[in-house]
Amino acid sequence: MKKLSLFTICLIILVGSWVFLRFVIGGIISVPIPGSVIAMYMGLIVIAILVHISVEDSLFREFRRPILETLVDDKRRLHRRVLVVLIPLLLLGYTYSIIAQRANPPGSPRDAHPSPPLELTYKDEVIGTMQDVVNPFRHYEKDDPEAFKAHVENGRRVYHQNCFYCHGDHLDGQGHFAPYLQPLPANFQDPGIIPNFQESFFFWRIAKGGPGLPAAGTPWDSAMPIWEDHLTKDEIWDVILFLSDYTGYQPRTFGEAH
Amino acid sequence: MRIRTTALLLTFLGILVVFNFAHTQNAPEASEKGKEVYEDSCAHCHGVEGRGDGSAAENLLPKPRDFTRGLYKIRSTEAGQLPTDQDLFDIITDGMPGSSMPPWDTALSANDRWEVVAYIKTFYDGFKESENPPKQITLAGKIPYAEQSVETGKDLYVELGCVECHGNVGRGDGTSAPTLEDSWGFQTWPANLTQGWNYRGGADTEDIFKRFIGGIAGSPMPAFEGDSFLNFGLTTEESKRLIELENKDEMTEAEEEESGKFYEKMDAAVDIALTIKEGGEVSAADIQTYNDAMKVVYEKSWHLANYVKSLMPAKRPEPAIGNNVLRSQYVQDALPPIDDAAWETFEAKYFPLVGQVVIEPRQFNPTIDGVHVRSFYNDTEVAFLFIWDDRTQTTGDETDETTGKPLEDALAVQFPVKVPQGPTAPKPYFLWGGRLPVYLWHWKASAPEQVTEFTAKGINNAEVQEAQGELKAQGIYTDGQYKLWVKRALKTDDKKDLQLEPGVFVPIAFSAWDGANGDVDTKRVITSWYTFVLEPVPSSKRFIYPPLIALLSVGFLFGLRAFVQRKNSENA
Repeated sequence: MKKLSLFTICLIILVGSWVFLRFVIGGIISVPIPGSVIAMYMGLIVIAILVHISVEDSLFREFRRPILETLVDDKRRLHRRVLVVLIPLLLLGYTYSIIAQRANPPGSPRDAHPSPPLELTYKDEVIGTMQDVVNPFRHYEKDDPEAFKAHVENGRRVYHQNCFYCHGDHLDGQGHFAPYLQPLPANFQDPGIIPNFQESFFFWRIAKGGPGLPAAGTPWDSAMPIWEDHLTKDEIWDVILFLSDYTGYQPRTFGEAH
Repeated sequence: MRIRTTALLLTFLGILVVFNFAHTQNAPEASEKGKEVYEDSCAHCHGVEGRGDGSAAENLLPKPRDFTRGLYKIRSTEAGQLPTDQDLFDIITDGMPGSSMPPWDTALSANDRWEVVAYIKTFYDGFKESENPPKQITLAGKIPYAEQSVETGKDLYVELGCVECHGNVGRGDGTSAPTLEDSWGFQTWPANLTQGWNYRGGADTEDIFKRFIGGIAGSPMPAFEGDSFLNFGLTTEESKRLIELENKDEMTEAEEEESGKFYEKMDAAVDIALTIKEGGEVSAADIQTYNDAMKVVYEKSWHLANYVKSLMPAKRPEPAIGNNVLRSQYVQDALPPIDDAAWETFEAKYFPLVGQVVIEPRQFNPTIDGVHVRSFYNDTEVAFLFIWDDRTQTTGDETDETTGKPLEDALAVQFPVKVPQGPTAPKPYFLWGGRLPVYLWHWKASAPEQVTEFTAKGINNAEVQEAQGELKAQGIYTDGQYKLWVKRALKTDDKKDLQLEPGVFVPIAFSAWDGANGDVDTKRVITSWYTFVLEPVPSSKRFIYPPLIALLSVGFLFGLRAFVQRKNSENA
């Protein structure tokens, strides 16, 4: 078998790396890698190749030999003709695709879980500071399991009369209205949601809804209603108990409540 | 050694096959596990005792199924039969599209779903009492989809009276559509046959065929049974001839006699069908007559299924979310009027509408699926064409009991008054604005040639603009579909109007009302914010730079070759 020239090897490494990054890592193994990251890796590989071929004069001569041959050698006439058509055509297509590209709207950054205010309120009534307020019915879980069950059951009722349209029968954010809302309704089965926030945080998000979000949370987009207009304080606490009871996730706490 | 491994593997595969086969047939015995899963995942709609009266049921339409009467809409079994276990399993797995029953394929394991099947069967004694397995509809005589079959089906669609509920072209807009009730007395809408994605039980031709033969139990949709099917007992040709005779203004004596014979034949066949249905004794000849007649029913049903299949697009149009923007196309000349063929030259953007459940009064059971939008603009004006399906034309003749306001069909298009500058700039609240105002076009079915401009700072805080611009509008209702055409100048003198400029991305949102569904004020269907742009005319640079670069590269290649050649000859 003919030994591959240094130029061909470099070409194979370059194309192979791109295919590997774009399709193997960014497809088979994991999710697609952003174009800029791929460009960065490819840049590093090109530099590595340049360093390698410029270490010795002989290596560099070996590398450029096939290029020079293609340019002038009579044996390579066919290669030359193909390339002199192919290269300009590729450039033509590429530049056209860049210039003719349609503009797309700028993405709008959104913080899905922006910082809550310091104080938790229901309508205008101050309940306490966000860090200290606990669910007033949570203690029944240990003290009075029967009463706790009654609160969870009430939360279940509240949920299915108000929330399941968007957040779903299974609390997975896939209610029958959900697919056509932007942003999508929260998925409580996601292990990153309930365990990361205190119950007071959920109370705030439920009571104040989309319009109660700070600007970082794009309050103008969210279809979450202001539930303090529809539900009592106790109903909100009950529905929070139901969310954690049904999913099995415990909300975050800050030590023992006083 | 190798043989033993192969044998082991085969046995294992065999067990798997048998295991799966067993599962596609029957549910296990009802158990505590089924009850537990049911109460955790189903009872909130279907009720602890399976009566369809869970806490969520009150606000839902279609109502959750009441399991205590053994009436199941979606079955693979013949009319009057119970569903198979597999039917129940499939409904739980796939859900009921277009209703509040979701697919449970990911939320519940297959085992849990089988347990639930076993458990819901305990709500109806009929499952225990029936000795024979339910009789399944045979799909053996399937007539493949073809133009001729679709044509035949189309004629049958009219002859059988499908039009009365489903409308001339299948949009569920027949004259009796608003009057229908199910077996529990709840209102029910006939299917919009052009929206295949909302078909309960699937939209394949086989699925549709099964709905004809088995009926949709508990709903007004009849099964194509012997005793009720049009011209039962006649062959297709005879049936055609009879309809032809009956359409004549006057029949000759011979024709009278001919039609009389047809009626005798039909009566005899219906008698046999009824006897068989009631389990009476019939002769072998009678069975032959019955089977022949049913064969015609099956054939006609396949034609009809093919026709219904022809009414729908392959899949639901993609909603215009994210970068999927509503782009207005530039034209040099006058903008096309409402009925111009130019509107058909490109695909409309589709905006699904959902019930407004944020602010009271809320709409939990929307009847409008979505709105198709196209737009053109020229140097001075922009025109839109909105198309949406609505089963009924309501123009405000009746009033809403609570608000006293007229119930009528309407559409509103919403823009911000000022386009937000930059990706982090605030937009107005998506429900008709708030602190930041929105600019609205409001069209009502009672005044189809008029669009009113509003400024709103909230869903209950909208004001008619004092200066109404020169908006042109035209609205048409045909066969269950509204077409609305609106035209406005790109720039106006009114500060409260949105000013349009090519290349600027503008938030856009929609609201729609179906008067017959009780929609009024906040009770309506809505969308979130989407994006609209007057698509700039593509830069002419695209014809200059690319060829230039290609040309330069050719020059470079030749230059390089000349350089190398010169070097080589120098070296030589």
